[in-house]
Amino acid sequence: MPKPIPITMTLPAASDFVAVARLAVSGVAARMNFSVDIIEDIKVALSEACTNAVQHAYVADTSGNIDIQFNLFQDKLEIIVKDHGQGFNPKETTSSKQTEETPGSFGLGLGLTFIKSLMDEAQIHSQIGHGTTITMVKYVPQIV
Amino acid sequence: MIPFKLDITEKNNSPSIRIEGELDIHHCAQLDDALSPLLSKNPTHIFFNLLNTSYIDSTGLGVIANAARNVAKHNGQIILISDKSQLKKVLELSGLHKKNVTLVENEKAAEKFYA
Repeated sequence: MPKPIPITMTLPAASDFVAVARLAVSGVAARMNFSVDIIEDIKVALSEACTNAVQHAYVADTSGNIDIQFNLFQDKLEIIVKDHGQGFNPKETTSSKQTEETPGSFGLGLGLTFIKSLMDEAQIHSQIGHGTTITMVKYVPQIV
Repeated sequence: MIPFKLDITEKNNSPSIRIEGELDIHHCAQLDDALSPLLSKNPTHIFFNLLNTSYIDSTGLGVIANAARNVAKHNGQIILISDKSQLKKVLELSGLHKKNVTLVENEKAAEKFYA
């Protein structure tokens, strides 16, 4: 199998740069011939991953970065979003009970729901004190 | 990119907020700030005109969810006006459509809620 084409970018973990990540992924996904609707889904998923890093990774530190790697395979787009912030326990944030009942956490719980629902594969690895890595995959629809 | 802009009008004690641009983490606090004085007047319904909103994320929906919880105290409704399929999709993923948040496609369809 041919090696994927890697594209990497590093963004400041600041709210006004999340729009830059959205623009970048639109370009990458368009290159891979995804449909307009799927490009929109990928855009939301990446945006939510970056938003998660901005909101929760670097609470007391404004100098943090987000590393984004796009791996362009023939049949799929893999996106890895990595922050080096405080990390969190994914088990404590994804329950629907918490999402619905805790006003402040609505964004976080929902953001992860969006990523899992809109992508074909999504994995979240987070370790307290060591940051969070979200890996997501979207397959290119096969023309039969 | 369309610059972010909020435009608030009121009719029959129901505010209508027209949102232009991208309602994401960078702009949701502006909407939250604009909503506080409106919510303190206990409106029955709040209209969000999203026809010119090019993007909405979980933080934007979070602000709307908070407004929905507020107006629910006196059986109020949130009416979202948008014709974008993406908004319908994220709204359904959020579960808000099962609560007191209704999506309509145009301003004409929103008018019946003023009655």
